[in-house]
Amino acid sequence: MNAPDRYERFVVPEGTKKVSYERDTKIINAASFTVEREDHTVGNILRMQLHRDDNVLFAGYKLPHPLQYKILVRIHTTSQSSPMQAYNQAINDLDKELDHLKNSFEAELARFQRSF
Amino acid sequence: MDGVSYQRFPRVKIRELRDDCAKFELRDTDASIANALRRVMIAEVPTIAIDLVEIEVNSSVLNDEFIAHRLGLIPLTSERAMGMRFSRDCDACDGDGQCEYCSVEFHLRAKCRDDQTLDVTSKDLVSSDHSVVPVDYSDPSDYESSEQSRGIIIVKLRRGQELRLRAIARKGIGKDHAKWSPAATVTFMYEPDIHINEDMMESLTIEEKKQWVESSPTKVFDIDPVTQQVKVVDPELYTYDDEVIKKAEAMGKPGLVEIRAKEDSFIFTVESTGAIKASQLVLNAIDILKQKLDAVRLSEDTVEADDQFGELGAHMRGG
Ligand SMILES: [Zn+2]
Repeated sequence: MNAPDRYERFVVPEGTKKVSYERDTKIINAASFTVEREDHTVGNILRMQLHRDDNVLFAGYKLPHPLQYKILVRIHTTSQSSPMQAYNQAINDLDKELDHLKNSFEAELARFQRSF
Repeated sequence: MDGVSYQRFPRVKIRELRDDCAKFELRDTDASIANALRRVMIAEVPTIAIDLVEIEVNSSVLNDEFIAHRLGLIPLTSERAMGMRFSRDCDACDGDGQCEYCSVEFHLRAKCRDDQTLDVTSKDLVSSDHSVVPVDYSDPSDYESSEQSRGIIIVKLRRGQELRLRAIARKGIGKDHAKWSPAATVTFMYEPDIHINEDMMESLTIEEKKQWVESSPTKVFDIDPVTQQVKVVDPELYTYDDEVIKKAEAMGKPGLVEIRAKEDSFIFTVESTGAIKASQLVLNAIDILKQKLDAVRLSEDTVEADDQFGELGAHMRGG
């Protein structure tokens, strides 16, 4: 009866930002990103990609509550980088990886269908 | 300011491919990507499914909402779905969700006029769009079965009973309702890497070897009838159950076998409901995941607001 509407899980409410950024007040080069209407799918690939970055000292994400449809991504970097730079870099790298994956899959599909 | 790239270059090898099933190997990436693809295939690749039903006449034994629910679960061919609009974003029909950009109309009319039970099936649904029709599961190579194939049964009618309705099918995703999920099952497993310590294995009698081989619940190992050596028949049958390792320890031979999961190799099994081809399902999942990543990029105003904050911060630290 009081269950939230199903679309609440993936439609960003009007007037809400998809991604908001908040600097840590005590530690330099540390910040939290709040990503609305995303879950483990995006949270985990972002975290793992951030771990590949040598300038990232800490990267983690959490889904605070199953009925709060957002994730928090926390990044701490060295002074060589910044949380924002690392975040952008991770997205760019993942994007390129998926481009490559798509091309590989299409090429393999063509090869496989030819061989039959 | 641009950082170094930490991009990976995954490789793919297809093992089996049918319209409704694909099996492939994914290498040179990590479990987060494999799992993201699996999750997107199940819950976020769009398809088309019946979402609204207006019943004109229903004198069948099933009530209206029961029939509406059954209609929703019928898979419809959804090659169009990626290019379609979600009704909630459609500005051509403002909220009505019944225009050609965001919906497909279906009609169903059936009445039983004789003593034999009439099966009302997915084949009785008449679509307004020839590209969006109930999935046909009959085997095209099997002539006889396709003649007889009657689709998915919706309800059975006896003499005098009638069903007449209009249905609207819309684009949606599995996250909203499972009826929109194009995936019957999507699974992946780590590729196992099995090493037998040959010297230690040779110290076992043939009887001990047999006992050890049989301790595995799946047929991963076998004994060569000629050389009587233990060999790996199919590493992928290993379910990471640890039984052979425990058995080796119980036999006083720890380290007889070493089994490790390769952390960058995955074997995927993708089964489609028939709404989209299994190969297309994978490609659509990659596209959707790319779109999701694009949506979580920082917006221009967020970056600007922080730049100002940064200058202020530097000023304060300097002072
Ligand atoms: Zn519309």
